[in-house]
Formats: sequence, structure tokens, C-alpha cells
Amino acid sequence: MKRLILALSSVILAITVNYAYAANRIAVSINPPFVQANMGDKITYTGTITNNSDKAANNIIAYISLANITQGKESPMDLEDWSANKAIKIDAIPPHGTYEGKWPMRLIDSGSYVVYITVVDKNSNIPVSSEMSHLDIKRILRLNPNNVLPVAIGEPLLIGIVFMFIAIKRGNRVN
Amino acid sequence: MKAAYIMQKEIRESILTPKGFLWYILTSIILSILSYLFLTNSELSLLDQGQMLYMIMNFITALGILIGLVFGSDAFAGEIERGTLEALFLSPVKKTQIAAGKLGAAIANWVIIFAISLPYLFVVGKGGQNLLIGIAYLAILGTLLAIIFSAFSMGLSARIKSMKNSLIISFFIFLLAGSPIFLSAALRKTWFGRVLDLINPFADAINTFDSVVIDSQGFSYQAGRVAIICGYTLLSLWFLKRSVSRLEM
Repeated sequence: MKRLILALSSVILAITVNYAYAANRIAVSINPPFVQANMGDKITYTGTITNNSDKAANNIIAYISLANITQGKESPMDLEDWSANKAIKIDAIPPHGTYEGKWPMRLIDSGSYVVYITVVDKNSNIPVSSEMSHLDIKRILRLNPNNVLPVAIGEPLLIGIVFMFIAIKRGNRVN
Repeated sequence: MKAAYIMQKEIRESILTPKGFLWYILTSIILSILSYLFLTNSELSLLDQGQMLYMIMNFITALGILIGLVFGSDAFAGEIERGTLEALFLSPVKKTQIAAGKLGAAIANWVIIFAISLPYLFVVGKGGQNLLIGIAYLAILGTLLAIIFSAFSMGLSARIKSMKNSLIISFFIFLLAGSPIFLSAALRKTWFGRVLDLINPFADAINTFDSVVIDSQGFSYQAGRVAIICGYTLLSLWFLKRSVSRLEM
């Protein structure tokens, strides 16, 4: 029994040490930590990836994720329309160096979201994520039918009237 | 002066006719549907005014090019098929003057399309960024593109002497020029996509609109693309002159 407890403890210790090492080796932070904006706005998140080890970190992949936490709509979001730069490949971060990645984003839909950046190091089995940045998007619709309707209906009608005028004038000339 | 006379004749016969006016009614209806959708559809309304203005500018440019190509294809081949070119050649007007007059009418056609689109541009871009500068760029680059594609199509029509064939080739050229619309952003970022974008006058124009209206960039960013479009304008005029001077009955 003692042996079993000892073996289990060793495994847990090894996993914890490994996780702590991976987490400490690479650190990532996201900025700004909180955003309040309107639908259609463009914002940019900055992710700072720090290599805390004495060795260069090679072939790092960093990507941004967005999750909807609005009541009743909880789900991870597909960033297809939101951001063109979903993943950044970093060839190398020198020992104790940092890399700053930018993720411009267009705010497509309203609601409460959390945004975080995840870093995947090919030499480690454990991904590292930043803290979550909270994003509140206010619903704004640029619906403007009163403004567009006079032009949308009026202009074809006006051209149609000129068209009829020319047709009648030509008809009279022929007769 | 003689070119101006030919231009007037072309405008009277092709533009100021009930058939010619149908183009403008259709242009207006399409622009009405497009701008109404932009401003009233809840999903499309998420686009900011600049983005909407940019998209409608692209559409107007493409429409101007398309009508210019049809106009150009008819210029000489149509006259040959109707048997009216001989009479035109017998008049004391040089071939280049005839071509200049017909090209002038094609540009007048673009000017009318541009004038029709102005109220839509103001409604869609109202309250947004870079509306007036965007319209100025559309006026200049749209005119240059109308010259390029109309002159090319006219030259082709003079060489091929068949309206159907010159129209088909012109449409292929139009599809090729419009390829940036069909290609994804990722494909356009490859070296081949970038080269294709740079040598394509239509892509140069829409990238300039993007840069001016959405990114608010100054003329120094546009100079290279505008220079390429100007180069194509000269090239197309040379092609038209050369094609027309070789035209025999």
C-alpha cells in the first residue's frame, strides 16, 4: 500500500513539475484586459509571449480564441469574420526574450465574450494560455431605411420618366 | 471637331435612345437593391460605412467596365455587321477621329453611370469616413478604367470584325480582371496573387479604393497603382490607334 501511495505521489509530482516547468518556460499575457465597444468597431489585442528559460524557444504557435459567455449563448466562436490573423508562427524567441503579436479584430456580434491567447510550443505537451480578457460588445445596428428609400425608389423612377419622355418624343418624331 | 461630331452621333444613337436608357434604369435598380440591402439588412448593416462605400464603389467600377466593353465591342464590328462602316469611311473623317469619337461616347456613358451612382454613394457613405475623397478617386480611376477597357474592346472589335467574338473575348478579359473578387484573401496574399493584383488595372483600382476609403491612406500609398493604371491607359489608346489604322473594309 505504501509502495502504491509512493508511486502515485511520484507520478503526480512528476506531472506537476513538468506542468510548472512548461508554464514557467513560456508565459503569455493579453492586453487590454477589458474592452467595452460597439458592434462594427475594430480593436487590436496584443499578446506578449515571454521565454523565461535559458534556451531559445523555437517554432512557437500563438493563436487567439474567443468564447461567447452571454447567458444562453455560451459557445466558442469561429473567428472567420472576426479576425484575419488567427494564428501567428514565431520562429524563435531568444532566452529571456519576448515577442509581441497583434490580433486586429472586427466586432461582429453583440454580447459578452472572453478572449485569450494560447501558445503552443512543439517541445512541450502542455499549451500555455493567457488570462482571459473580457469583451463586452454593445448592439448597434446601422439601419437607415428612411434615408435610403427616397433614393432607392426615386432614382429608378426618375430615370424611367426620362426614358418614357425620350420614347414618346421619338415616337412623335417618327409619326 | 470631327471627332466631337462622331461622339455626338454615337451618343444620340446609342445612349439617348430608349434602348440605351434601359441600361441606366437597370443600373439604377441594381444600385437601389444593393444600397437598400446594405442599409436595412441587419447582418450587412454590421459593416461600417467605409466598408459599404468601398463595396459599392467596386460594384460601380465593374458595371462601368462591363458596359464599356459591350459599347467597345459594338464600335467597329457592329458597324461592319450592320453594313454602316463603309459609309462612315467614305465621309471626310480620319479613322483615328472616328475611334476618338466612339471612345468619347463610351466615356460619356461612364460619366452617366457615375452620375447615376452619386446619390447612392452619398446615401451609403453618409456619416462615414473619406466619402468625398473616395468619390474623387472613383471619378478619376473609373474614367481611366473606362478608357482602358473600352479602348481595348474597340481595338479588338476593329481587328476581329465580329461582334460576337470580340464580345466573348472581352468578357473573358473582364472575368480575368475581376479575379480579385473571386479569389480569397489568402490566395491574394501569395506571391502569384500579389503579382496578379499589381498587373491587373481593375485590382489596382479596387486596392486603391480600399486603401483610400477604409485605411485612410494618402496619395503616396496610391501613386504606384495609379501610375500602373495610367500606363495601361496609354497602352490601350496605342492599341486602339494601331488597330483602327489597320482596319480595312
